Amino acid sequence: MDDQMYSKKLLTTLLLTLLMVLAACGGNDQNDEAAGGEEEPEDLTNNDAEDTLVVGLDDDPPLLDPHLSTAQVESQIFKAVYETLINVDENLDPIPGLAKDWDVSEDGLTYTFYLQEGVTFHDGADFNAEAVKYNFERILDEDLGSPNASDLRLIEEMSVEDEYTFVVELEEPFAPFLSGLSHRAGQMVSPEAAEDESIDLSNEPVGTGPFQFVDRTAQSHLEFERHDDYWGDQPDYQYLEYHAFSNEDTRITNLVSGDLDIVNRVAHKDLEQLEENPEINMSEEDGIGFQGLMLNTDREPFDNQKVRQAMNYAVDREAITEVVFHNGAEPAVSPFAPSSWANNPDLEVPDREVEKAQELLEESGVEDLSFTLTVSPSPAEQQLSEMLKSMLDEVGFNVEIEQVEFGAILDRMYEGDFDIARLGWSGRVDPDGNAYSWFHTDETYNFTGSSNEQLDELLIDARTTVDQSERQEMYHEAAEILWDEAPYIFLYHENDYKPMKDNVQGFNHVPDGLIRPADLTLE
Amino acid sequence: MEQSQNLSVQKPKAQNPRLRMLKTMLERLLQNKLAVFGGVVTFLLIFTAIFAPWLAPHDPTEQNYSAVLQAPSIEYWFGTDNLGRDIFSRVIYGAQVSLQAGLISVGIALIIGVPVGLISGYYRGFIDEYIIMRMTDAMLSIPALVLALALAAVLGAGLTNAMIAIGLVLTPNFVRLIRGEVLAHREKEYVEAGKASGISDFSIILKHILPNTIAPIMVQATLAIAAAIIVEASLSYLGLGTQPPNPSWGSMLATGQGYLDSAPWIALFPGALIFITVISINLFGDGIRDMLDPKMK
Repeated sequence: MDDQMYSKKLLTTLLLTLLMVLAACGGNDQNDEAAGGEEEPEDLTNNDAEDTLVVGLDDDPPLLDPHLSTAQVESQIFKAVYETLINVDENLDPIPGLAKDWDVSEDGLTYTFYLQEGVTFHDGADFNAEAVKYNFERILDEDLGSPNASDLRLIEEMSVEDEYTFVVELEEPFAPFLSGLSHRAGQMVSPEAAEDESIDLSNEPVGTGPFQFVDRTAQSHLEFERHDDYWGDQPDYQYLEYHAFSNEDTRITNLVSGDLDIVNRVAHKDLEQLEENPEINMSEEDGIGFQGLMLNTDREPFDNQKVRQAMNYAVDREAITEVVFHNGAEPAVSPFAPSSWANNPDLEVPDREVEKAQELLEESGVEDLSFTLTVSPSPAEQQLSEMLKSMLDEVGFNVEIEQVEFGAILDRMYEGDFDIARLGWSGRVDPDGNAYSWFHTDETYNFTGSSNEQLDELLIDARTTVDQSERQEMYHEAAEILWDEAPYIFLYHENDYKPMKDNVQGFNHVPDGLIRPADLTLE
Repeated sequence: MEQSQNLSVQKPKAQNPRLRMLKTMLERLLQNKLAVFGGVVTFLLIFTAIFAPWLAPHDPTEQNYSAVLQAPSIEYWFGTDNLGRDIFSRVIYGAQVSLQAGLISVGIALIIGVPVGLISGYYRGFIDEYIIMRMTDAMLSIPALVLALALAAVLGAGLTNAMIAIGLVLTPNFVRLIRGEVLAHREKEYVEAGKASGISDFSIILKHILPNTIAPIMVQATLAIAAAIIVEASLSYLGLGTQPPNPSWGSMLATGQGYLDSAPWIALFPGALIFITVISINLFGDGIRDMLDPKMK
């Protein structure tokens, strides 16, 4: 869901589209701007174009405070202005970030971080062990209500050993700990700015990153400037801008016309066309998330396991990845992407088996197989839902499609008010991030209402075990249980695509899908 | 017996002027080449909509994943869309949706608008002046599409609700038109005479005034059908009208929008049909207006 949190606000879209229709009907000359669905005139940037990198985003990031953030589009911005204690490389292995080194005790309970020296926040404050402690305490502060607190919850004690040494004691071993620190929980905000009540960190981020915040125009763009006191290598260019285009066609048009240098997300239908464009370079990387259908197992007919299993055989995953994603996605049968070490190679993607699905439905004895499929209103989602309807209706279901704005889908999830919802996850570096909070009984994103003791045990063991090969076996078994229980119908793992202009060099495609702007150079 | 025979002999003679009038009106219509064109195309569309199941070569909702985004060919005359559905068949079934939306929503507008307009114009007074007319003013002050959008959003997405919304949006036009006609007629001698001879208001309105307002209503209704088709297409384009997978020209247009470069036929054919349909009905409606207008030569 993370990657869809920034989905369009229905009303805005409707009004913009309406403007478009009216403008098209009116036939006057000022309709070019309205027709784009965005208020941007021809030239996107006011800064010196030679010295500016312009990034196109698929939505306006709502919250710029990393400790409160949940949307993936916000993490794009964080890569400019904030830094994490730990980084990940292209293989998703941890590499130094603000912590230049670290030790983990044999029992996996004590973590010692050796911090980078000479780092200052954009407001001039020093970065040191006290700052790390402040940040951890801020995330764990219940008054703040950080949705990322679970990454740190097992911390029993933390201490400032000296100015640049920070020690954390855990209650029990927690394998995904470092992975969490490479994400939002490891992002360091300036303690002075966080304490200053005149500064709203949700709108004006203050970090240690290579770029500092300059200005923001809501629903339009954000401006950044090179941070002159940055401790690492200075970026190649002075200005960095992020422009939001929720309409995928507008976003790509702006890239092709040269107004954007790189774009964070592209509709799969446009892949071929972009790959043929000699002025555009395309970077492709396997994704780490999963996408599929969330079944409400508290409701009929999905309280019946055989009905859920029938769905697994009724859908044609190959057809979906081919038709909707133009082969830019892999068919999925578990929450772990094929590239993940946790993926179970014995679980093969089944062919669509109409008869098997019908047999299972017959065995279930359930007669009323009508339900509503709730999807968000994007063209690709609509296309996918129409395919699903056709496949499921054929085996005996009776599907009604309902398009609901993404935020509203989330609300309905929390209320348990849905039959089946199209909801996925952009994925985490550690497999725990793809499994525990989604499929453990009563966890944050387990909207299915399903519960399996054996699965719960495995998921807990897997996160408190340090040895990776042991964890791997646990996740293999967990994936098999999930396939058999079928509270969630895994459909596909989406690959990540980053199209950019051919003068943009140095792009380092990390599977988390985030653009690290300081790596980029303009030729 | 004898009397009735007499009558039947005289009847054709009595009808002669009427027949002659009808004939001149028809002649006038036929002279109007554009109106004839509009009428023929409209007739063809109605024919297509009625016989869609026999005319469409494919099932309009059948998805063929091995023939996705195919350009027009002998197998698929108008090409296929992003789910491998035959656009020609979808356009044919889309005609059903469009005509249905046009006729039913105008029907709704007539059912509400005609009685309200008649009563409002005939009785006048406080309710007419301060309630009905101000309400129509309020509704007319909001652009039709915006009002339809708001109503459809409140009622919920779907073709039925879209038709109700469009019907309500069209209503004030009819109320105003009919009220205006009634105002002109209620002062005429024949109404005075009717009143004097003790005919009830109900009969005067229904038997004497209403028949005299039929002509302008007909013209207005024809033109409103064209408007209703556009609004239905717009609502479907925005996702508030016909729901997938049922074909509507508007929603097909919305799908095609994302493929203007790679598969322009998806948007081209439904777009062209909306254009042709609306312009034909408008031309035909204009023709009828000219035909009925006695001041026209």
